[in-house]
Amino acid sequence: MIPMALTLPRTLTTDLAGRAVTMDEAAFRHLYDRTARPLRAYLMRSCGDLALADDLLQEAYLRMLRSGFEGEDDDHRKNYLYRIATNLLRDHFRRKRPESDEVPERDESPGHDEAVHLRSDVGGAMAELAPRDRQMLWLAYVEGASHQEIAKALGLRSASIRSMLFRARQRLAKQLQARGLRPELEVS
Amino acid sequence: MTAKPCSHEEAVTAAARSGDWSPELKAHRDGCLTCAELTLVVAALAADAEELVAIHAPLPDPAPIWLRAQLASRERDYRRATSAIVWVQRAAVAVTLAVGLAFVPGLWNLVKGAFTSLDLSSPVADLPRAAGSPLLVIVVSMLVLGGLALWELTAAQEN
Repeated sequence: MIPMALTLPRTLTTDLAGRAVTMDEAAFRHLYDRTARPLRAYLMRSCGDLALADDLLQEAYLRMLRSGFEGEDDDHRKNYLYRIATNLLRDHFRRKRPESDEVPERDESPGHDEAVHLRSDVGGAMAELAPRDRQMLWLAYVEGASHQEIAKALGLRSASIRSMLFRARQRLAKQLQARGLRPELEVS
Repeated sequence: MTAKPCSHEEAVTAAARSGDWSPELKAHRDGCLTCAELTLVVAALAADAEELVAIHAPLPDPAPIWLRAQLASRERDYRRATSAIVWVQRAAVAVTLAVGLAFVPGLWNLVKGAFTSLDLSSPVADLPRAAGSPLLVIVVSMLVLGGLALWELTAAQEN
């Protein structure tokens, strides 16, 4: 099981106020080493494509560096990275369907299914959900994000997260059960 | 049986993540569809995350990301440093245009007079008169300098 709260080092900063890159290379590498794999897992499960996930991962870190964001603490920096990544995913889905301003309910691009169905039944079950549902479930139950953090990352109202999360969870549970996974099988 | 939101969801989520179930919570989970589903989802996602994090594909090298950020930062610094020069160039163009426009009517007569009185056959003798108007010299110089400033400005923006 991956750690729910990543413990990141405090980034080193310079006194050059206003400069975009505020951490030194060693601090950046340290942050990258600690966060890149979980972030790529999130991107990969959300978009279903390893190559695309790697592209978005690099872009997320680049944007964070360009923004000069320092963050109050480790969780703040991690949340900021996930918010950038979520925005990048949203932009990606919007570009694929320019006629719609909403995040699409299903990603049906050619090659998508092959990519999304990675190795596990969970991957297949997640692929049946809307991208937003996947992101929401991942942020809530893998990253341990609060409803407020999820709302911020996905650009939704905080008050509606509880019910949306409940419905997304039901949909995933249904998909998992259709693949032979039952609640009692997962209980330790 | 229809699942409805349950007040134990938070505790069940924490227990499903940690695997640390109290007997009471376990009993509740076994009798609550919502919490049973929640347990299934949390456990499945945790397993999936573990699998994806452990995937063997190497991560992208962070060095190019760092370099690209550095380049972007330097470009921003360069733009900041040269912005004053660009504004001076813009001001020079604006002043030149303003001066040019203010003197257009008089300038036209001046240029016309200068050219009609210019005798190209004896340039040495008539040169002081052809170029004799200080106003003409100033205006022509400003137009040339304005043109140069405009060219510099365009070149700077292209770069």
